[in-house]
Amino acid sequence: MNIAPGNVSAMMTTKAPMTAINNPPAARQFQTLLRGEADALHGWLHAGDATRMLRDGAVIAVGAGLYGAAMGWWRAPEQALFVAIKFPLIILLTTLGNALLNAMLAPLLGLNLTVRQSVHAVLMSFTISAAILGAFAPLTAFMVWNAPPLTEHFASSRTTYSSIQLAHVVIIAFAGIAGNARLFQLLQRLADGNRRGARRVMFAWLAGNLFLGSQLSWVLRPFIGSPHLPVQFFRAHAMAGGFFESVFNSFVYLFKLIFS
Amino acid sequence: MNEPNQPPKLPPQMPTAKTPPPLGDDPAERVAITGVVSAVESILRQPRRVMFQLREPGAGKVITALVLIAVVCSLIYGVIVGSFSGGDQWWAAPVKTCAGLLIAAVICLPRLYIFASLSGSQARLLEIVGLVAGLLALMTVLLIGFAPVAWLFSQSTESIVWMGFLHLLFCFIATAFGLRFMNAGFAQSQAKSNAGFNTWVIIFLLVLLQMTAALRPLLGTSPHFLPVEKKFFMSHWFDCMK
Repeated sequence: MNIAPGNVSAMMTTKAPMTAINNPPAARQFQTLLRGEADALHGWLHAGDATRMLRDGAVIAVGAGLYGAAMGWWRAPEQALFVAIKFPLIILLTTLGNALLNAMLAPLLGLNLTVRQSVHAVLMSFTISAAILGAFAPLTAFMVWNAPPLTEHFASSRTTYSSIQLAHVVIIAFAGIAGNARLFQLLQRLADGNRRGARRVMFAWLAGNLFLGSQLSWVLRPFIGSPHLPVQFFRAHAMAGGFFESVFNSFVYLFKLIFS
Repeated sequence: MNEPNQPPKLPPQMPTAKTPPPLGDDPAERVAITGVVSAVESILRQPRRVMFQLREPGAGKVITALVLIAVVCSLIYGVIVGSFSGGDQWWAAPVKTCAGLLIAAVICLPRLYIFASLSGSQARLLEIVGLVAGLLALMTVLLIGFAPVAWLFSQSTESIVWMGFLHLLFCFIATAFGLRFMNAGFAQSQAKSNAGFNTWVIIFLLVLLQMTAALRPLLGTSPHFLPVEKKFFMSHWFDCMK
């Protein structure tokens, strides 16, 4: 069948742009997510597309995995593999572990979201953070490559270890802030400009995710690894203690000291 | 000068705080709550729908659903509490958690009705029972949300004090949301003052806290199901910290 040139141009102008808007290719969707285009993200949340959530999960696995690999590479190649698995695992377990709580808190604090929508919103913010981390992975790998090896004979000063540790903290914090800034924009759009409601929901989610995420990272330690300890997926007493518990114990100790 | 018979002019009215519209204004609030799932959805997303339905003829069914939610969710959360020690606590902690909440509610219920009436509230006893059932349901549903976090922490510590603190923290957050629901319901009952309700809140919290001592141990282990020695909760907590 012959198609007249005029018909082709008509198809191009009517059909093609519609398809592009409704189902943009993955790369364009990824850009839309990074740009935080609130209207588009709002539409995605309401569409409830499972494929999109899976794609977000894949970005987290790749982005955070690459960064984790670069982080663990300093200690040993095995450690790189372990951290490449553990880092995305923390993000995904935090999202799932708090899914129900986040979904309950949203309507109570002023945003009527379903469980799926709240999970997807949190997942989107983590996806942005993971993408940033993935982008930083080559830089981290370069930094680690330039550092003296972290083996049992690690003789360098404490400065090297601290500097690398600090660099990780700064990069992860930056990624986290960027992800949450985008999340806030999305929540504001969902709340129809109700900044107060959006802020309350974001801080509640942030607090919950920080609380669970910190404990999960404690359980799944080590990440950088210690030169004097063996390379392991879990430490022998992985489930013992935690950051919050030690802070709490310090308070109890002080309390007893003052009141006894 | 003012005219002798003319009352002094009132200052212009300050814009009042946004008062909620009367219950049932929104057609969505008039949709009947038909079961447990619908009750969970409503208590989280449309609390005004629950408040409206509590004034309608089928309020008994709504209250039953809310109490059922509270029982099931408190039993589930109790299992998480019991997972810290295991053994007999697998069944004892859920029973005590559920019983503690229900007993606290029953103990405080008559006082709420009296205080509400003293405050000028038009709420019927059934409505007050419904509000308390809503408080328990919302509290326990939220505790289920905290359950994964509580479970992770209970598996990664041996400190009873830390775990007790965490459960109290989660319980406090859940209770705060539950009381907010009750307050909103109370505000719809045309009460002239909130003083009675606020007093009730303090008493309810104290009773809840006392349950941690009256039904001890909720976290640790003991040869007895219930304590032999009587203690106030503060004294019990101090003993735990020693």
